[in-house]
Amino acid sequence: MAGLLSRERTVAAPGFNRWLVPPAALAIHLSIGMAYGFSVFWLPLSRAIGITQPAPGDWKISTLGWMYTLFFVFLGSSAALFGPWLEREGPRKAGVVAACCWSGGFFISALGVVVHQIWLLWLGSGVIGGCGLGLGYISPVSTLIKWFPDKRGMATGMAIMGFGGGAMIGSPLADLLMRHYATATSVGVAPTFVTLGLVYFVAMMCGAFGYRLPPDGWRPAGWQPPAQRSAMITARDVHVSRAWKTPQFWLLFVVLWMNVSAGIGVIGMASPMLQEVFGGKLIGVTAALKDLAADQRAQVATIGAGFAALISLFNIAGRIFWASLSDYIGRKTTYYVFFVLGFALYCSVPFAGRLGSVPLFVALVCLIITMYGGGFSTIPAYIADLFGTKFVGAIHGRILLAWSAAGVLGPVLVNYLREYQIAHGVPGAQAYNTTMYVLAGLLVMGFLANFAVKPVAEGHFMTAEDLAAERRLAHHGP
Amino acid sequence: MSDPTKAAGRTGAGGWWLVAIAWTLVGIPLAWGIYRTLLTAAKIF
Repeated sequence: MAGLLSRERTVAAPGFNRWLVPPAALAIHLSIGMAYGFSVFWLPLSRAIGITQPAPGDWKISTLGWMYTLFFVFLGSSAALFGPWLEREGPRKAGVVAACCWSGGFFISALGVVVHQIWLLWLGSGVIGGCGLGLGYISPVSTLIKWFPDKRGMATGMAIMGFGGGAMIGSPLADLLMRHYATATSVGVAPTFVTLGLVYFVAMMCGAFGYRLPPDGWRPAGWQPPAQRSAMITARDVHVSRAWKTPQFWLLFVVLWMNVSAGIGVIGMASPMLQEVFGGKLIGVTAALKDLAADQRAQVATIGAGFAALISLFNIAGRIFWASLSDYIGRKTTYYVFFVLGFALYCSVPFAGRLGSVPLFVALVCLIITMYGGGFSTIPAYIADLFGTKFVGAIHGRILLAWSAAGVLGPVLVNYLREYQIAHGVPGAQAYNTTMYVLAGLLVMGFLANFAVKPVAEGHFMTAEDLAAERRLAHHGP
Repeated sequence: MSDPTKAAGRTGAGGWWLVAIAWTLVGIPLAWGIYRTLLTAAKIF
């Protein structure tokens, strides 16, 4: 008898509504999206011993910040490593393992806070939680693409939007919980970790058990595949072990890498850039940021925080908007828009600064951020178009290593360029300009990679025998 | 074997109720998160 988590038990019964799958995927992505909101714990954790202020033995914020690096390294690595396993075993098992890893990470971290051992936080949330992130992130992708052959972009956009929105729920929730649990002798982080672990476990298990696979050959009622397919959309499949040997795989890798690196660069510097470039103008005072009084600086910092929040809203809006639009204009054209329009916008940001126009600056950055989010949500459909739907989750998992690479390239580029310029006498507010032009240069490289993407060569596609062998491996029966 | 196009294509009214409940369950926390973020973002205007 097939197990509760097996692929066979996940196949939908007649009458199943495909619109139940996106909320299941959202439940998982909204949970793991809290990874973006972990900075809410840094300040309380930096005074875990001193309670009201950091004491000797308390962790530094820079030490805690390593968690982000671990998150994204293990997200990419686990997605790449376990993608083929996910395709064989089905999304439910992957969702359950993701729930155990992500929630288990919170529980181990809570123990780490209680015994004050930073390695337990790194291991729990960073390594084990990071593996949960990777598995959870790719778990719904191929399922959604199979349920929505007519709206591939929109379907994956809905799920990946959740990853962008997870911190919007998780950060204020964590803040409320820490206030609730805080006492004279505790900052309340450990019980908050336990509570969040339990909440996310329930939400992710509901999501995992909500996953259903369509029966083989299923298509939406009344929908027929277009008689004349674009050459860029295949009806056949490339095996994951073959896909990474094709130039198309590496071109898509570069496309995602460049788009994300440039976007991460902007996200990292947008808020401080707004504050340094416009300074007192943000609060109606004619003075540079360094010349403002402490209370005025605090007002400017509040506006900076508001800008960061606005950016996160446009990030999630872009995920659903651009991915849905790609269903109509095509994936390649969508990435052309990201790189051409993006190049113009990145180059215009310094101009908005020189012009002194806050609304123009804010509008440009927000539009740029929609394309950062759109890059993430459109890539699964691009992969499905080129390599087929059979291994889209596994191939997507491997291409997500570009995200890990971008997590290194983007911040390193921004930080070192800024330090170099300031060391050579460039004023702080102007040091951002060159960085924006360099990030625009990354988009040119992305454009060239996208331009080189052509349909996959005939010899890479699976034969009927390959498909039959794969079906046996995937527990479809003899 | 039955026609795969019909295997999971048509849905009764009960199916749509379930869809509404599922979307409400994920929609409420998401709407709360967006509302909280909008409150913070409003400080820029």
